[in-house]
Amino acid sequence: MKFKSKHISITIFILFAAVPVLLGFGYALLYSFGLTGILSEGFTTEYWEKTLLATEFWKSLGFSLFIAAVVMTTSLFFSLWIVISWTKNLYKGLLSYVTYLPLAFPAIVMAFFSFQLLSKSGFISRVIFNLGWIDDLSQFPDWTNDAYGVAIIFSLCLLITPFFIILYSNLYQNERIPELKALAQTLGAKKNQITTRIIVPILLKKSAFTIMLFLIFVMGTYEIPLLLGRQDPSMLSVFIIQKLQKFNLADIPQAYAVSVIYILLIATLIAVVYKTRPAFFNPEKN
Amino acid sequence: MKKALQILFILSIFFPIAFLLLLSLGRNWPYPELLPQSLSLENWEFLQKSDSKLLQTFFLSLGISILVATVTTALAFITSKHIALSKYRNKLMLLAYIPYVLSPVILAATLHFFFIYAGISGNVSGVLLAQFFIAYPFGVIILNNFWNHKTRAIEELSKTLGSSSWQTFKNVLLPISKNALLLCFFQTFLVSWFEFGLTNLIGVGSVQTLTVRVFSFVNEANIFYAALASCLLILPPMILIWINKRYIFATETVI
Repeated sequence: MKFKSKHISITIFILFAAVPVLLGFGYALLYSFGLTGILSEGFTTEYWEKTLLATEFWKSLGFSLFIAAVVMTTSLFFSLWIVISWTKNLYKGLLSYVTYLPLAFPAIVMAFFSFQLLSKSGFISRVIFNLGWIDDLSQFPDWTNDAYGVAIIFSLCLLITPFFIILYSNLYQNERIPELKALAQTLGAKKNQITTRIIVPILLKKSAFTIMLFLIFVMGTYEIPLLLGRQDPSMLSVFIIQKLQKFNLADIPQAYAVSVIYILLIATLIAVVYKTRPAFFNPEKN
Repeated sequence: MKKALQILFILSIFFPIAFLLLLSLGRNWPYPELLPQSLSLENWEFLQKSDSKLLQTFFLSLGISILVATVTTALAFITSKHIALSKYRNKLMLLAYIPYVLSPVILAATLHFFFIYAGISGNVSGVLLAQFFIAYPFGVIILNNFWNHKTRAIEELSKTLGSSSWQTFKNVLLPISKNALLLCFFQTFLVSWFEFGLTNLIGVGSVQTLTVRVFSFVNEANIFYAALASCLLILPPMILIWINKRYIFATETVI
């Protein structure tokens, strides 16, 4: 009976967790090779050639990687700085509660807020106008729908930094950093050395898997670049959905080709971690 | 200097909340005015109007999220136990991580055909199923941490002392897993509550959750109603996060 319930349970898990991904991947793969869908005329590599030879896709991939790298670097810098500088305050008082508040913000609300703050007619532009620094709203820089994704980076940093502050403040205690810090001080290490050679390496090493997961999350984010980004370059998920929803039916197989590349990229990254650091998947061995 | 920075940090966290609340009370905000020209509760009264549908949207979102979180937590609790006991634990967890990190909107895009084929695209059941596909692996990941050596030892001890499987489950496992279950419920509730891309794609715009409504209001350039809907969106998570922080985060670590 126990044997049976275990197998039913794991079958349900595979059915709802793995099968949808496989089905979606399979369908996207077939569609991208012209084996299914409205335009299906038999096997062809035409859509893959179009996708891989077009600069549009590479620009989108590069832009997504650029945004993910900038967001993660900025968020990690600020969260580490806050945790290391304000350690004691993060465990008690107002700060210990306030840090959790940004977690209540869905991406779409953060995108809307950022737009109202950073756009040409946004709050900052109004403040600067009233200070007399600009005479017209057209003089205000393009921070939304711009080529560098300033507003996208800003919004994502606002969403991610609090999470890492909480994570690092927990790790700080769990990894017994105060004791290590005291020991290093006793042995004559300078404040700067303690930070750069003990605290930061420990925190980064312990959060390496989470950092990788967040890099993937940021690369696949949708709502924020949809509201704050440009059509060209656009982030991967926006690029795929735009191609799927365009009137040009010939774009649909290309959208699926990009989806296949994206799923393969994610699966490969996770598989590499699985091979090199299997303990990440088993908390008891971590 | 440190104190001043901390005050600045606290203010920067409260600023978005205050800003959205202010916009939700506003009408007419011409450039370069710093604040809307008139502030009143008129927008909030819109919630009560039968043709506004915003309140219905709020309760629809709440219903979807509670259902997704409840089913996910219950199922993930059982599944995560069997995965933790399995000799293929790492391989099965690998399977859980792939849908967890995949962009939900891309997963929805690749699965949309099957939802249309099954006749559940554009309705609530389709949205529920699609959200379950992303919430369930997440639930398993959260609860997988709970089934450690200590929990298993307690379970074994209970059985050694003569409890039946049901008694062990009801009187031992459920009480000690309360925090983990609450954490899983809250986190999966938030996954569903925050979801936009997948809901919009599978719901084809017919299933109007709050996130979809915020997007519609933004597209219509109705910033005051968008701010109002945003306030409604951040209210339940704030309550949940407060409960989480007060009663659960003290004893559990999320990732």
